Amino acid sequence: MGYVRGLRCRACGAEFPAVQLAVCESCFGPLEVTYELSAVRDSFRRADLAERPRDLWRYRELLPVLDESARVDLAVGCTPLRRAADLGEALDVREIWVKDDTVNPTYSFKDRPVAVAVAKAREWDLPAIGCASTGNLAAATAAAAAKAHLPCYVFAPASLEPAKLLVPRIFGATVVPIEGTYDDANRIALLTADRRGWGFVNINLRPYYAEGSKTLLFETWEQLGFELPDVIVVPLGSGLLLTSLEKGFRELRELGEVADPPRLVGTQAAGCAPIVQGFESPDGRPKPVRRPETVAESLAIGDPGSGFEAIQAMRATRGFADAPNDPDILDGVRLLARAEGVFTEPAGGTTVATLRRAREDGRIDRDERVVLLITGSGLKTPAVWRDAFQPLAPVPPNSAAVDAYLGGLHHG
Amino acid sequence: MVRLVLASPIAVATRGEREIEIEFEGTLRGLFDLVTNRYGKPFQQRIFEGDGALKRFVNVYVNGEDARYLRGLDTPIPRDATVDLLPAIAGG
Repeated sequence: MGYVRGLRCRACGAEFPAVQLAVCESCFGPLEVTYELSAVRDSFRRADLAERPRDLWRYRELLPVLDESARVDLAVGCTPLRRAADLGEALDVREIWVKDDTVNPTYSFKDRPVAVAVAKAREWDLPAIGCASTGNLAAATAAAAAKAHLPCYVFAPASLEPAKLLVPRIFGATVVPIEGTYDDANRIALLTADRRGWGFVNINLRPYYAEGSKTLLFETWEQLGFELPDVIVVPLGSGLLLTSLEKGFRELRELGEVADPPRLVGTQAAGCAPIVQGFESPDGRPKPVRRPETVAESLAIGDPGSGFEAIQAMRATRGFADAPNDPDILDGVRLLARAEGVFTEPAGGTTVATLRRAREDGRIDRDERVVLLITGSGLKTPAVWRDAFQPLAPVPPNSAAVDAYLGGLHHG
Repeated sequence: MVRLVLASPIAVATRGEREIEIEFEGTLRGLFDLVTNRYGKPFQQRIFEGDGALKRFVNVYVNGEDARYLRGLDTPIPRDATVDLLPAIAGG
């Protein structure tokens, strides 16, 4: 069973069978999974989708897992698409929707790509899995590995927020805290995966891993009544999420389900914006950042592996790239929390900040229907708020003390 | 001895050899010239563009530092250096 045709290089077009291959054997470029779309068309019908299980496997024809028993069932995906009317009023946008992936099993969108990558690792009977991570992927990989009874190795910068290094250990993973940046952790993870024959989800399982993320686009399409929005604002770390969305669009178009692409708008923090700088340069090549400096540490990838392709996708869809600074990002987190009751990590604040900036200078029109991807929960990153709120002094449990504490303010 | 380490996808350029020890001291460019002498044109064609620049999808690290942040192909290679050639895949 399955509709997978093979792997194709995004750079040189070389084709390969759907085996465990990290990059193109000819030019070392990125690979993507291709499908027999004419066969998919017969079973991927709108009416049938409604009857399917509420997780990412409802789009099974367009996911590269052949053996259903290899799936790890953590109920990933089918997250809410929230109509954000108050945020729309605050930012002067007629229609904003928040795709809320903070409610996935490990509180970020990374559960999606990991679900596919771990299923492939099981199909291929790999002895162990792992990842290089800025935090969210670590939790997602460790949880899926626990459920799959596979050993898991997480390579991450030792300087990550303590909670992000703790969570994978609770799931039983071995954390290797690397002295250095994410890019250092990624380099050594790549060498380790290679030497030991392990499956690292975002390295040597990458073409399959990438497929999970496009379910964000499929769900948005389905939740909007089988329509795509005008604009999707996407946080950029490696750029792979954005290129996966673009691939999902191409597949829906080839199936005859949609016509025009949404404008894909990518956002990074000003303190680590290699893709944004590349978007703005004539050659369209990412400009690597040696020492990222930002509160949005889940996006702090200095040498983004899919940056070039993300820039091409933004240009092709008439989108753009933007890089707000840290104070604007934290304001974005606060605004989303206070307007919509959704607490995002700084990556989500980055999307809000970019929408605000794009309304101010007209890059996004008031009448465009906008979807913000909120890709991770704020509960994982409390440390970024350390300086923003006064410490709380205990109040004696009597009415006079409470009145004094509230200082005559009118509440409620 | 300089130790040259190639990730398995890149090792197609060295007939599958993933760790190569070479008596050498000089620049990165000089090291690659020496490796090209040993493995012939296929190495050169797979690692370099026609204009002599490194291919876009190949990252080179000298003692763990990305050569782009050093002096590129002019980066000095001491006699005990480790040089990694890895595919450019970072992040998820």
